[in-house]
Amino acid sequence: MRLGLVLAEGEEADLARLAETHGLFGVLAGSGNPLTAINAAIYASTATEFVRVVTRVRLGLEHPVTIAEELSILDNVNNGRTIVLADAGELDAEPAADEVAVLREALSSRPIQHEGPAWKVPAGLPANAAAPSSISVTPKPAQLEVPFWLTGAAAPEVGRSSGLPVLAREPAHLGHPRLVEPGLAAISGNLKADRDLVAAWAAAGVTHLFIELPAGADLDLTMTMVSRHLAPEVLMPHFPRVMSESRVPLPWPGETNK
Amino acid sequence: MDFGVGLFSLQNTAMLPAHWAGAYRDMREYATLMEGLGYDELWLSEHHFFYDGYCPALLPAAASVLSVTKRLRVGTGMLLLPMQDPQRLAAVARDLGRRSGGRLDLGVGLGYRDIEFDGHGVSRKQRLPRMLRGLEILEAAEENGGPPIWMGAQLIDPVKRAGLRGHPILFSAALPFERCKTLVKVWEEGWVEGGRSLASKPALGALRNIWLTEDVKEREAARDWVRASYVQYAGLGWTLPAVGEHEQADFAEETDKAIADTVETTITGSAEECIRQLREFEAIGIHHIAFRLMLDGAPRVALESQIRRLAEGVMPKLRDRVTA
Repeated sequence: MRLGLVLAEGEEADLARLAETHGLFGVLAGSGNPLTAINAAIYASTATEFVRVVTRVRLGLEHPVTIAEELSILDNVNNGRTIVLADAGELDAEPAADEVAVLREALSSRPIQHEGPAWKVPAGLPANAAAPSSISVTPKPAQLEVPFWLTGAAAPEVGRSSGLPVLAREPAHLGHPRLVEPGLAAISGNLKADRDLVAAWAAAGVTHLFIELPAGADLDLTMTMVSRHLAPEVLMPHFPRVMSESRVPLPWPGETNK
Repeated sequence: MDFGVGLFSLQNTAMLPAHWAGAYRDMREYATLMEGLGYDELWLSEHHFFYDGYCPALLPAAASVLSVTKRLRVGTGMLLLPMQDPQRLAAVARDLGRRSGGRLDLGVGLGYRDIEFDGHGVSRKQRLPRMLRGLEILEAAEENGGPPIWMGAQLIDPVKRAGLRGHPILFSAALPFERCKTLVKVWEEGWVEGGRSLASKPALGALRNIWLTEDVKEREAARDWVRASYVQYAGLGWTLPAVGEHEQADFAEETDKAIADTVETTITGSAEECIRQLREFEAIGIHHIAFRLMLDGAPRVALESQIRRLAEGVMPKLRDRVTA
């Protein structure tokens, strides 16, 4: 199991850089305001080189082809590090599933010709006589297939019909034997309690857990706790704590350890 | 005068293949270079569903530049407003303005390709009402701290509308100087009809094909890169309609003529010659010049060299004139 970091709104670049410095696998942008999540994800992307950038995108607010185009730009800016967290928002399962289908088809390397319960793409409107019966959203994403995760009230139902992972908020919400099972939890900053927390998530089968830092936390101290104690704890069964509890090696004279 | 470079459209073309992710990385590097050389603006351009990946989403592209610069402004030239939900657009643009310290300029235009409207579920017949409704929302956002609005137009009615509503225009590089001059007058009529004084008008802008060189072979190459860059507009089916005595340029039906005429808009020569021609634009109220350098075929080493040359040989003298 791997740990990622939830990015606070307006601090995405600094926090994403910090997460990468501490070796976390990814960051989650837009948890505060999904409307501006792609801006947040771009700022996190250009500040980093390696971390995967999960972008929460609220469905039902814009045409899905427009959203797909924005996501494709994001994926080219970060060279294939994008993961989409589609938030069903106010949508019921059927329109949410249809919108996710349009997004995924639009981000594929095939032209799109979609007719579903909520969307028809291209629309085939009489006034647009010169338009063909299919379109290709370009540029294509940098990666072969952009991963999609789901959240929001309709997510479990959409997840069942589409087979896509659903972001769990409790270990008990897990239980689907997929290769990727993401979750989200808040840590307290207390080492004993947070070790128990991540261990419980690991035992429940989460594969990628995003952690929210406690409000007002000392970032360096807390992230050191995360990377030195929590992340190793869940990367292998029966982690020998002697390694995380041993003294940190000396720095090069005149420099400090991160 | 203020100076920028454009149009960044982030393509992977048949003439100059490139990786899209590399194009986005290169743009960030060009932006950093431009900022270091004292440029003021970088301008982006939008199309949809074209084979070369012509940038379809300008705000994420703008965000990528704004996130790695401190002073450079980034303008959308132009974002096709009728194809977007204006409420969402206003919120996203405002957020980006806030993140960047107010360095986003929101240029908007109508769009003209049926496929682009149909792919977004919009009837082309609705483009003008959607544009006007969108402008109302963006104008309200601008009054409340949102990004400044610019408009892109080349015909009498939309240019006048921009003046009437009080928005500066960025003229296309394909417009010859005399046509720009005509349209500036039209814009000013609109500005005055809106109850304003010409003394308070904002600076207008123009993209210009330009290449500072006295070398004959380099000049020939640069003009050929300009030619190649307009071939794509033939592919897109663009037409520059006639305005008054100014002829139509039909890139779709009269491709060779339209391209050849447009290549003739290119300013080339010594620094003194470039300055002389740019002063003509300054004299008609165009104080933002975006050098149209992102040309299909031009290698990066040539573009960087030209960006430096213009910064060192042209920009200081035109800035001095305004200061004086």
